[in-house]
Amino acid sequence: MSTRGFLPTFLATVFVLTAVAAAPAGASTFTIPTGASDRCLECHAKPDLGTIEVNGETKSLTVSEDGWHNSVHSRLDCTACHAGFEARDHTPEETEGWYTQAKLTACSDCHAGEFKMYDKSFHGDLVMNEGSKKAPACGDCHGSHGIISPSSPAFRAAVPDMCGRCHGDKRSTYLDTYHGKSQSLGGTSTAVCTDCHGSHMILPQSNPASTISSQNVVATCGKCHENASPRFASFLVHVDRSTPKSSLWVWLMEMNHAFLIGVLFTLGGLHCFLYFYRGLKEGLYHRG
Amino acid sequence: MASVDSGIRDKSAAAEPQAGVAQAAVGARTHFRRFTAFQRWVHFFIMISFSILVLTGMPLKYSDQAWAQRWMGFIGGVQSAGMIHRFAAMIMVTCVICMMGYFAVILIRTKGRFWGPGTMVPSRQDYRDLKAMVGWFVGATPRPKLELDRYAYYEKGEFWAASAGVIIMCVTGAILWYPEVAAWYLPGIVINFALVNHSGGALLAMGFVVVFWHFFHAHLRPEAFPMDKAMFNGGLPLEEYAHERPLEYERRVREGTLDEVLVAPLSPRRLTVENVVWWIITGAALFLWAVFTIFVVWVTYNWLTSF
Repeated sequence: MSTRGFLPTFLATVFVLTAVAAAPAGASTFTIPTGASDRCLECHAKPDLGTIEVNGETKSLTVSEDGWHNSVHSRLDCTACHAGFEARDHTPEETEGWYTQAKLTACSDCHAGEFKMYDKSFHGDLVMNEGSKKAPACGDCHGSHGIISPSSPAFRAAVPDMCGRCHGDKRSTYLDTYHGKSQSLGGTSTAVCTDCHGSHMILPQSNPASTISSQNVVATCGKCHENASPRFASFLVHVDRSTPKSSLWVWLMEMNHAFLIGVLFTLGGLHCFLYFYRGLKEGLYHRG
Repeated sequence: MASVDSGIRDKSAAAEPQAGVAQAAVGARTHFRRFTAFQRWVHFFIMISFSILVLTGMPLKYSDQAWAQRWMGFIGGVQSAGMIHRFAAMIMVTCVICMMGYFAVILIRTKGRFWGPGTMVPSRQDYRDLKAMVGWFVGATPRPKLELDRYAYYEKGEFWAASAGVIIMCVTGAILWYPEVAAWYLPGIVINFALVNHSGGALLAMGFVVVFWHFFHAHLRPEAFPMDKAMFNGGLPLEEYAHERPLEYERRVREGTLDEVLVAPLSPRRLTVENVVWWIITGAALFLWAVFTIFVVWVTYNWLTSF
């Protein structure tokens, strides 16, 4: 074989062998079931389907086909969650009634353990017992049609904004810590809200079972910080530097820096600028 | 009594051969050695590590800004930036330790006398110099001819500001690097203090020492423009120096220590090489100066409009 013919042949062989080796792996992956779901998507994948008012919220009737097919739930039929729906025009009453129920029970059928924890949590109490429409149920954090794994980087990166929809002040103070700054810059190694506060069973700090109660907070920090101590855990995570109400000392220190920066930049800037200006005016930058 | 800074002598000067040979060489030693090789290397490493620290640290301070996120992506993400930042910090800490040792040697040689002419300790003359300059700046008096000793008032001010700053940055940086260890000895709020001071101190250092002070006096000052090269080749013609810093020159003549700091000028070939290096450094410095200045103006604008 000539040298000229060798390289293409060699590469072609490598390519074919790779394709053969990869083929069985591809064939063994789960295939998306056709049937009910695809029948629903015939209408609901259309982008101009409009909106519907449910429970006082405006919801789009369009389901993102890609998001749905990429989600772990695309193995299920639509009716696994949207129980009772049939392939015809759905009445608003039907949808409203289903939504109120399914907001919680659609998930609990399979995710009973998570639901049990949620039921006992601060959020769960607000929704189940107080009838709160604002407090989050499953879908408010996890989404609905495009659910992705909560341990995926994309989900974790979205957590601060997710919690921040209600806890905006906590979000902004979190983003002012190294944890938050690293997250903003695309870091994946630092803690997000749920790493400290938990997820399904979030409880207020005053509750001894809370992950951030004085009994548990050191262990919570210790998940990442091996040598965490009670004093380490007394670090003020959610401190607003811009107000003395949050922490007087931190605010005083911040003000001290603002003062120093203001005074020194002004004096230093004036010194340099006037030096430059006089030098220019008196022709000191021209040298023969 | 010998001046403080002559406590440390340049190797080339200290290892001068015996009288007869030295006499013949004196003719060639026409340059005043402004900084020893040690001082120049420390300055070089501080310059490099400072730039790296700013470039890897500032995006963290402004993590909510699009430019910070893009820049962080460009330098390989926040984790690698953190590693580079800590590595550069180790270079700077090494420089600080070396300088501490240098001061200790000076203190031993001068028997604890760290003030006086030619030292970094401010004197009445500095106050007079500053007053004369301010008078010129505001147009009240003609341009003064400063009677400078080894260090001008603006160099002394910078030295003390930078010294205080680097110690604050080292201590707070160490706390942020090992917060768990810090909390063995100190209350947790110290970690909050460290964060505020490291972040504020960084802006202060970058803005004051670099944008509004050091770059200006080393590069843009009329007498130095485009660059004061003494920190890089160590020497400048004796007449020039005697004109620029008359007090140190006169003092050395009076004390008979001038010979210690006389060096031969660089050979033409080395001068060519160094010229290339100077222009690279000058170009980089002016570029960084422009970038940092725009940045500080942006920060100031944001800060003022935040009220």
